[in-house]
Amino acid sequence: MAEKSTERSGGLVESHKGYDSRTIFFYFAVAALLTALTSGLAYQQLFKTDEYHEKEKQQNQRRILVPGPRGNIYDREGRLLVGNRPRFAVTLHLDSLRKEFRKEYIKVRKAYRELEDKDIPNSTQLAQIARYSVVQRYLDQVNASLGRSEKLDAKDLNRHFHGELLLPYSLVDDLKPEEYARLIEQLPVSSPLQVYASSTRYYPFGSAASHVLGYVSANEEPDSEETYTDNKLATFNDKNTFKMRGTIGRDGIESEYDNLLQGETGGTVYRVDPAGYRAETLYRHVPIQGKSITTSIDIDLQIAAETALDKNRSEDDTVVLKSAAVVIDINTGEILALASNPDYDLNDFAPRLSTEKAKVITDNEAWMNRAISGAYPPGSTFKILTAVAGLHNGWLTPNSHFDCEGHIVVGRSDFPCHNRHVHGNIGIRDAIAKSCNVFFIHYGSQTGGEALAAEARRFHLDRPMGIELPHETRRMMIPDEVWKKKERGESWYPGDTANMAIGQGFVLVTPLQMASFTASIARGEVFTQPTLEHQTNRTRQRTEPIGFSREQAAALRDGMEECIKTGTGKTLRINFKHPEIRVAGKSGTAQKRTAKGTINYAWFISYAPAEKPEIAIAVMVEGDKADEEYGGGTYAAPVTGSILQEYFDKKSAAKPGTIAQPPKPATSPAR
Amino acid sequence: MLPKRFDQAQPFITLGIIVLAWLIVPTAAKRLMRLSFFEFQAPLDISAATVRDVQEFWSLRTRSRNELIEAGIDLAHLNAKYETSIQRNAALEGEVARLQELLKLPSYTEYRAEPARVARRDFNVWWQRMVIRKGRNYGITEGAPVIFVGGVVGRVRVVHAYTSEVELISNPGLRMAATIEGDTRPLSYQGGNNPTFGPAKGTVEFVPLDVTATPSASRRLVTSGVGGVFPAGLTIGQIFRVDPSTDGLFKTGEVRLDPRLDSVSEVTVLIPLQTD
Repeated sequence: MAEKSTERSGGLVESHKGYDSRTIFFYFAVAALLTALTSGLAYQQLFKTDEYHEKEKQQNQRRILVPGPRGNIYDREGRLLVGNRPRFAVTLHLDSLRKEFRKEYIKVRKAYRELEDKDIPNSTQLAQIARYSVVQRYLDQVNASLGRSEKLDAKDLNRHFHGELLLPYSLVDDLKPEEYARLIEQLPVSSPLQVYASSTRYYPFGSAASHVLGYVSANEEPDSEETYTDNKLATFNDKNTFKMRGTIGRDGIESEYDNLLQGETGGTVYRVDPAGYRAETLYRHVPIQGKSITTSIDIDLQIAAETALDKNRSEDDTVVLKSAAVVIDINTGEILALASNPDYDLNDFAPRLSTEKAKVITDNEAWMNRAISGAYPPGSTFKILTAVAGLHNGWLTPNSHFDCEGHIVVGRSDFPCHNRHVHGNIGIRDAIAKSCNVFFIHYGSQTGGEALAAEARRFHLDRPMGIELPHETRRMMIPDEVWKKKERGESWYPGDTANMAIGQGFVLVTPLQMASFTASIARGEVFTQPTLEHQTNRTRQRTEPIGFSREQAAALRDGMEECIKTGTGKTLRINFKHPEIRVAGKSGTAQKRTAKGTINYAWFISYAPAEKPEIAIAVMVEGDKADEEYGGGTYAAPVTGSILQEYFDKKSAAKPGTIAQPPKPATSPAR
Repeated sequence: MLPKRFDQAQPFITLGIIVLAWLIVPTAAKRLMRLSFFEFQAPLDISAATVRDVQEFWSLRTRSRNELIEAGIDLAHLNAKYETSIQRNAALEGEVARLQELLKLPSYTEYRAEPARVARRDFNVWWQRMVIRKGRNYGITEGAPVIFVGGVVGRVRVVHAYTSEVELISNPGLRMAATIEGDTRPLSYQGGNNPTFGPAKGTVEFVPLDVTATPSASRRLVTSGVGGVFPAGLTIGQIFRVDPSTDGLFKTGEVRLDPRLDSVSEVTVLIPLQTD
C-alpha cells in the first residue's frame, strides 16, 4: 500500500501494511482461550449442575416437614374409636423478630453500660437476654388475653432459636376452644403471634378397648423415614430440614398398623438469607391423612365385657381383679371384644402421658394385655379337650361311665374330685356339667399324655394365634414327655398326665387361645384363626374337622349345655335374661403355686346359641388373695352372662323376631 | 450565574426547609397536628353526609302520595312483625337469665346500642374502612362491634371526637372467632382482598373436616361470642365453598358477605356496658 500524507492529517501518517503473519498466532491464542473458557462453562453447566444446585440449596433453602395426620380407627359398625382432634397452640415466629431482637440487644447493652457493672455479659449472653426479653413481652400479651401467668423457659427458647429457627415456637400449648377464639379475635392479623393447629389422638370411648387400640407417642427418632409422593420435598438432606415432630404407634393396632395409619408428610421449602431467616416461600405440599382401619371390634360388646370385668373387685372394693375376656365370631374368627383389666384411659396419652399417670399404670400392672400376653393354667375348661381327645382316640364313648368315689389315685398321687364331691356312676354329660375330676383323670390317663398333647397341638394350643397385635406371648405350654425331659431333666409320670387331663400342672394357655378353641369346638373343627380386621362379606372359616360322629358331638354339647342348666355354670343366667337362648359352656378353676401361696384363676368358656353357634367367649379372672378360691362359676360365668345379654339384646333390637321367644303359657288348660 | 441558579433551585430549597422544620418540630406538636387534622376534617365529612341526606330527602319528596301510602302500609306490617319479635325476645331473654341463674353460668357481656349514620367511605379503601358520624361525644369506644340489618359491619378502629373509623368485616386485616350456625366449634374468619366494586368475600379457617358447603347449600357463619369482642349469633356471611387446608387437619372456606354491606348508610355500634 502506498503511504499517503494529506494536509488534514498533518504530521500523522496512516500506513496500511499487508497481512502480518504474526497475528495468526494471536488468533489461535484467542480461539484457544475462548474454547477453554466455553468448555469450562459447558462443563460447569452441563456436568456440575447437580453439585452446584445442591450447594445452592444447602446454602439458601430450608425444608420444613409437617407429618400427615394419622388415619382413623373404627369399630365394625363404623363408629369412631380413634380419631384426631385439633390441638391449638399460640406460637411465635422467632425468625420474624430479627429487628426487635437487635433493638432490644442495643437497649440491654446500654442499660448494662449505664450501670457501670464490671461483669457486663458478653455479646452472646446479651443476645440471649434480649431474645428472652422480647419473647417474654409477647408471652405477657398472651397472658393478658387469656388470664394466665405462663413463664418462659430460657433454655428451651435458646435451644429452639439455635436448632429450629424456622419452626414456630410454642408459647402456650393445648388451648381451650374459648382461649383459641379469644386469641383469634384479639391478636392483630400481622402479629408474629399466631394460633397454630396440630393434631393429637382422640379416643371417644376413653379407656374402652385400650389394649386393642394401643397408643402413640412422639416420634423421637431423628432419622425416621418419611413418606413422600413429592420429589421436591424428598431431595433434601437432614441439615437443611426442620421437622415437626410426628407420632408413632407404640402398642395395639396403633403399633401393628403404624405404616398404614401414618399420614403422608407434607411441608414447605423456604429460601433463607445468610443468617438463616426466612426470605420467601418456594414450594408447599399439603400433608395427607393416613389410611383408616375398620376393626372387627363391636364397641357395645367391648364396653359390656369391660363393665362386667370391672365388677370383679378385691374384698375392700378398691382394686379391680386382673382379668381378661375374649369374644369371637365363631364363623369368621373376627374378634368382637378383647378386654383386659386393669386398663388405662387412652386420652391420658394425648398429647403425652404424664410421669404420674405412667406410674399409676405401672403400679396397677395395667400395661399388660392379659388376653394375649398372659399364659395361665386353664383348669377344668381343659377337660373339654380331654373329652375330645378321649372321644377322638376311642378311649371314651358317649355312653362311657365311671364310678367317682370322690378321689382317684394315680401313681403315688391322690387326686380329689371337684369340691371333694362323690359323683358315683357318672357319664360324660354329667362329668362335664359337674366338672368331675375323677372321670377326666381316669379317661385322660387311658388316652395318655402324648395323645392329649397331640390333640391340644391339633387345636393350635401350643403356639401363638397370630392375631394382629404386638406382644402376643409365646409362653403357652402343652407339655409332653420330650419337653419335660429336655427342660426339667425328669421323666413323664402318670401324675403329669392326670394333671394335664384337668388343665393343671404344666399346661398354660392364653384367654385368646381358649376363645379360639371354644369357637373351633362349636364349629366342629380344629382351628379358628382370630382376626381384628373386619370384612363385611367375610366367608365362614373352614379348617380340619374334629372328626366326631353326630353322637359324639351331641354328647359334648349336651354336657356343656347341662353345665349352664344345672352345673357349675348356672350362675351365667344371673346376668343373661334370655332363657330361650341355649348356651353351652364349661367353668374352670386353676391353681398355681407362687411365692405368696396358691393363686386361683377362674375361667369360663362358652358358645351360643348351642344349636347354631354364633359367638364364643372365654373369660379369665385372676384371684388377688393367695390360698383363696376364686371359682369360675362365681367370678367368670356372670361376666359371660353380661356379654351374652348385650349380644342378644343388640341382635333382637336390630332384627326383631330373630331370637326365638319362649312359648307363652296357655291361658286355659287344653282339654 | 449564582442568583439564576438559586432561583431555579428555590422550590427544592423551600421543600428542604419545610422538611427540616418538620423534623425539628416536637413530637407532641406533630401528634396534635395529626389529631386535629381529623377533627377539622370531621365537620366537612358530617356536612357532606348531611347534604347527601337532604338530597335523599328531596328525592323522596318527589314520590307520589300513593307510593308513600303503600310504603307506610308495608312499614306498618313490618312494625307489627318486629313488635311480635321484640315481645318474643323479651320472653326468651327472661328465660335465658333464669337458666343462667339456675346453672350459675356467667352472663354474656351486655351492650348499649348506639345507631350512627355513615359519614364517608373512600373508594380506594371501600371494603376496608368507613367513617361514621359519632365518636367520643356518644361514648363510642375502640374495638366496639358495629352491626347493621344484615349482620356484622366491622369493629371500631379509631375514635375521634365527633367521628369514628370502622374497620370493615371485608378488610383482610380483620379477624374474628366464628361458628357455623348450629355448631359450637370455633373457626377463624378473616376478610379477603376485595376489589372496590366487586362482591365482598372473606375466608374461614380451621373448619372441621366433616363440614361441607357448596354454593347451592351454603352454611351461615355467625359470631361465636367467645372471642370477647362480638356477641354471639350475629351473621357474618354464608360459607359457599370449603377445601382441605394445607395442613390436612381442617378445611378452609370462602365466605360471601351480605351485598347490602356495599351501600350501608345506617349502622349500630354496640358499646359494652361496664359491669360491676
